[in-house]
Amino acid sequence: MICILALVVFGTLSIFSARHRPLAKEAFDCVFRKLTLRKCESGLDLRLKSQLTGKLLRRHPRFAKIIYKNFELLSLAFTLLFLISFVYMGIGGYNYYLYGDCNGPNESGFCIFDPLGSNEKTSSLETGEACPSNSPSPKYLTLANVNLDIFPTYDRGAENDVIFIGCYACPYTREAYPQIQKLLLRDDVNFVFAHFPIKGKNDHLSDILNAIYLIDKQKFITLNDALFELDPLLLKDEDVIMQLVEEIGMDSELVQASIITNNVSAITAAQAIELQKTGLYGTPTVFVNGNAVVGPKPYRVYTRLLK
Amino acid sequence: MNIETIRNDFPVLKKDVIYLDSSCVSLKPKQVVEAMNKYYYEFPACAGRSIHGFGSKVSGEITAARKNLANFFSTKPNEIIFTRNATEGINLVANSLGLKSGDKVLTSDKEHNSNLLPWQNLTKEGILHQVVLSNQDNTFNLAEFEKQIEGTRLVSIVHTSNLDGVSFPVEKIIKIAHRNGALVLLDCAQSAPHKELNMRKLDADFMVCSGHKMLGPSGIGALYGKAKLLDQLQPFLLGGSTVRDATYTSAEFEGAPAKFEAGLQNYAGIIGFSEAVTYLRNIGMKKIQHHEQELNKQLTDELLNLEAISLIGPAGPSQRAGIFSFNIKDKDPHEVALMLDQSAKIMVRSGAHCVHSWFNARNLKGSVRASLYLYNTEEECTTFIDAVKAIATL
Ligand SMILES: Cc1ncc(COP(=O)(O)O)c(C=O)c1O
Repeated sequence: MICILALVVFGTLSIFSARHRPLAKEAFDCVFRKLTLRKCESGLDLRLKSQLTGKLLRRHPRFAKIIYKNFELLSLAFTLLFLISFVYMGIGGYNYYLYGDCNGPNESGFCIFDPLGSNEKTSSLETGEACPSNSPSPKYLTLANVNLDIFPTYDRGAENDVIFIGCYACPYTREAYPQIQKLLLRDDVNFVFAHFPIKGKNDHLSDILNAIYLIDKQKFITLNDALFELDPLLLKDEDVIMQLVEEIGMDSELVQASIITNNVSAITAAQAIELQKTGLYGTPTVFVNGNAVVGPKPYRVYTRLLK
Repeated sequence: MNIETIRNDFPVLKKDVIYLDSSCVSLKPKQVVEAMNKYYYEFPACAGRSIHGFGSKVSGEITAARKNLANFFSTKPNEIIFTRNATEGINLVANSLGLKSGDKVLTSDKEHNSNLLPWQNLTKEGILHQVVLSNQDNTFNLAEFEKQIEGTRLVSIVHTSNLDGVSFPVEKIIKIAHRNGALVLLDCAQSAPHKELNMRKLDADFMVCSGHKMLGPSGIGALYGKAKLLDQLQPFLLGGSTVRDATYTSAEFEGAPAKFEAGLQNYAGIIGFSEAVTYLRNIGMKKIQHHEQELNKQLTDELLNLEAISLIGPAGPSQRAGIFSFNIKDKDPHEVALMLDQSAKIMVRSGAHCVHSWFNARNLKGSVRASLYLYNTEEECTTFIDAVKAIATL
């Protein structure tokens, strides 16, 4: 049994170091012989057992005795544990590839491939800080009964719908944005952007976004690109924002006038109400064809949900 | 004999290990290594060929080394042939003696593969190889030997067995053999490092030993042969240094030992080997032998009364030189050796010790062998005893 364990351990180590390759080969040979009901010729099992007990013998003779007597049983237990964890690791890897999270879609918990949980992080709606790990699950998020028509939309008539809910000042939304930009480069995606200003309460940016959208249906994406680029500390500085509006080719005075004449704040307020219906608890939240993905994920996680 | 002073000559012992595998390869004192380095640093040339300064210096050193070895074994320099090791010496005799179909060669049942396979191989050419079985306690069965000696051309026999440390009564064996017209080749790989050997007194015809087991470097050994026999022997390897002159069709061979030392020799090894025997002689072979026996007595007294221990060879430590070869009940010898190494940094040999034939005949897997030498101490033996006891209780 210990040979199987040795094969997996040395096999893995041998990928990185040549020193372990002969041991891995020996372990393979040993396992192969055992599988064909023959004796392990290299004596690897004996060596590992003796080395372990020998080492223990010096300091903990009683413990050494227990190990020596129950070595086969212990190595069986360890091997099974190892194999089980190996299978779980495989599943974790698979989930990580598909969903950017080892625990599967819409789950939270520790993930070895993303130990800091950076793919999971969101900014809490209440505090604007990173969401605690016991956040509600994305599986309760929905677009049912949400009126998306009142949000800035880039409708290409494509078969996929991406709804991106984020806030300009939030670090994780900013982290996710480059993937969204990549998605926008595809011609099979319709795009809706919902600004949900949590951190720093940048409500005025929602108004500007909505006002620009009313004036020019295409321009809001350019605005997004510029705002996500901007130092978040400057988002509150109206002069800077107005200058930025000019830079993207809009008349800032016209935009400001539109905010008042079109009662944009009412639109903004209505949007906030709609977003509440989604069950939203943090940003970024992205719906790809109705499937919610929370936190900044690798690009492949979004594209996998495309038709 | 001051062990502390001796131990200081072996830098490797500072590594805090207990080396009990000298029967395989002994440690080397710094004097030996320095003598070899001197060759490489100061006169790294060839002997007996070039007549320049370096060449003459090496020639002088090799001549002196041969003389030193001849003194060590109480014989004459032209009777010492340098070989790679004991194995090569045995093969040289086997291939040069001119054994003919029907000639009988006797060995014991405890021979190292090096003194078994060359004879086994010759059976393909019609040579008869017979084995003299030992007594129950692994000592030599003289009566059996006397029964089998008749018609024997060569007795090739181990002096001290690497299996259990038992020394055969070679004086008697040689006398009986000679009385019956047989020659005797002694495998002294394990006796030369540990006891005084006097070739004149013993009257052996051939004797082989290895430098690496007697404080010398590896890759060098010696074959002793009586001068008149060496004259009759055909060279085994042919080439440079073995001839006085040669034409395209013929060669005029040198006498012994040159005709057996073909090609450029291991000069550093020869010089180191000579330094090793000087070292041994300075300490005194009798003192070394006595020291090892005292230590073996300590091991025997403490371990033999353990129920789990079974000893290979006779119970009396004085009959087993510096070797304590044993098994622990229900434990694989390799397992025991590894545990000794891991638990107390004790290095012993495990397995069949190249005497597979003996173990196979008894259906045994092998044994654990602790072999002692001049640098081992009582404290080391105590640690070994404690470690073996701990393993035996597992
Ligand atoms: C009794 C005996 N004979 C012959 C040999 C062979 O010696 P070498 O390997 O140095 O040729 C050994 C080595 O262990 C030995 O113990």
